[in-house]
Amino acid sequence: MMSGMDTQTDPRQLPAVIEAHGMSRHFGDTVALDTVDLHVPAGQICTLLGRNGAGKTTFIRCALGLLPPSSGSVQVLGEPAGSMAARLGTGVMLQDTDLGEALTAREQLALFSSYYTSPADIDTVIEDADIADFADTRYKKLSGGQKRRVQFAVALVGRPRLLFLDEPTTGLDTDARRAVWDNVRRLAARGTSIILTTHYLEEADALADRIVVLAQGRVIADDTAAAIRARTGGAIVRCRTSMTPDRAQVLPGVRAADMHGRLLTLSCEHAPTTLRALLDADPDIDDLEVTKPTLEQAFTALSEATTEDAS
Amino acid sequence: MSRTYAGILASETGAELTQSFRAPEFLLPTLALPVAFYMMFGVLMSRGGAAATYLLATYGIFAVMGPSLFGFGVGVAGERERGWLELKRAAPAPASTFIGAKLVATIAFAAMALMPIYAAAAFMGGVELPRAVWLTLFCVHLSAVFPFMLIGLSIGFSFGTNGAVAIANIVFLSFAVLGGLWFPATFFPGWMVAISNALPSFHMAEIALTVVDAPGDRAAGFHAAVVAGMTVACALLAGWTWSRQR
Repeated sequence: MMSGMDTQTDPRQLPAVIEAHGMSRHFGDTVALDTVDLHVPAGQICTLLGRNGAGKTTFIRCALGLLPPSSGSVQVLGEPAGSMAARLGTGVMLQDTDLGEALTAREQLALFSSYYTSPADIDTVIEDADIADFADTRYKKLSGGQKRRVQFAVALVGRPRLLFLDEPTTGLDTDARRAVWDNVRRLAARGTSIILTTHYLEEADALADRIVVLAQGRVIADDTAAAIRARTGGAIVRCRTSMTPDRAQVLPGVRAADMHGRLLTLSCEHAPTTLRALLDADPDIDDLEVTKPTLEQAFTALSEATTEDAS
Repeated sequence: MSRTYAGILASETGAELTQSFRAPEFLLPTLALPVAFYMMFGVLMSRGGAAATYLLATYGIFAVMGPSLFGFGVGVAGERERGWLELKRAAPAPASTFIGAKLVATIAFAAMALMPIYAAAAFMGGVELPRAVWLTLFCVHLSAVFPFMLIGLSIGFSFGTNGAVAIANIVFLSFAVLGGLWFPATFFPGWMVAISNALPSFHMAEIALTVVDAPGDRAAGFHAAVVAGMTVACALLAGWTWSRQR
């Protein structure tokens, strides 16, 4: 096995933090995960992005050994998922999970730190997670956002090599969300590998080295944010025109045309080609605007493509 | 502090006890109710050493049953429902320290529930027993933690919080009444005796009564064997309900 994580260690030399092969999970007739292959090398922030019910939480639960996959396999830190060796190197923040109601944050941290071989100093964690203001308040008296931040602190206390964060910023206000992002970046800079699920595109975009898009239990994209954005093609062209959408649809390079009143939105493969034809077809167009597709648009396009394939 | 099994068990037990002490809805009935009942029926209404001694044996079992059933039954159901159990399973905490901490905390609470009853019996009820008998009685009373705790666990693993509270209350009251913990089972009609014989509370009470020299018809060894069998059955039930968690 490897020695402790220090700045000298090159993360690429370490075994993959997640290695899933053909992993599926069914709940009765429902397919929550469908033959997922995922290799996450050490040192990455890997975001699982998807709508509710896409299979993100099921993936996390399988990787933690809380749920056995129906078929396929998953290894964590080179060990079977859920084994003590895997759990010792892992910190966890789950969804819909409450800590001990009558315990304070400091007491929860003391309890969880006893599980790990070389835990962090509790006061340092309290400071890092920015929970000092309510570290000695009983958990049940905290607000929803404060509870999430205590859960985040608990995930950090074992100084894990791998951190699972299942929707870590759900229910947080903007400031608290940015604080969690800063923390995640800081941990990643120190060499911690992070698997994060979110349905906020903004969050995936802000944090991740790599975005794995899940839809209906399948991986439909696995790339950098920029690459996923590029997938939907070159550009979005908007303008005011008297042209009908049917006519716009057949312009060269147009993949999709959408009309609201006189405002036409074109998704095109190669903007210059389309623009030339557009200007020829309607010399009176107005308010012309060419933009790169946002991650949101890319994501919507990807999800819709999958839904159409499935039906 | 680095990770040791004893260290985990200690911090887990500490957390259990802290949580219990901060829950008056658990603390009050489990600690105050048994001694209040004993004061009423065993001391104030009986006015005699024999009845006070008899009820000391049976109310001791009653006192142990509360923390065992409610600490485990309702406690585990709530922890399961709120996802606390799941987080522990994902964390590198061995399952045995979790159960072990509950066991130690329950025994501690059982001892705390017994002490005021013993004090009431000795100082107000006129109960006089040799030291060795007090000690044996204490051990017999505490050993009742095991079967009741396993029943509590099975309830906690099988029902949600509200369901577990209801079921634990039914079990608690029927074990108390039908087990002869409140009124001597010798007064029961035949059909009730048949039910009593199926309950661990009845057999535990019979063992305790033998210790204070008020034995029933059968030998303590017989009751001990029955309790042992029931405890194994309860352990299997608890194990099965635990494995169904996934």
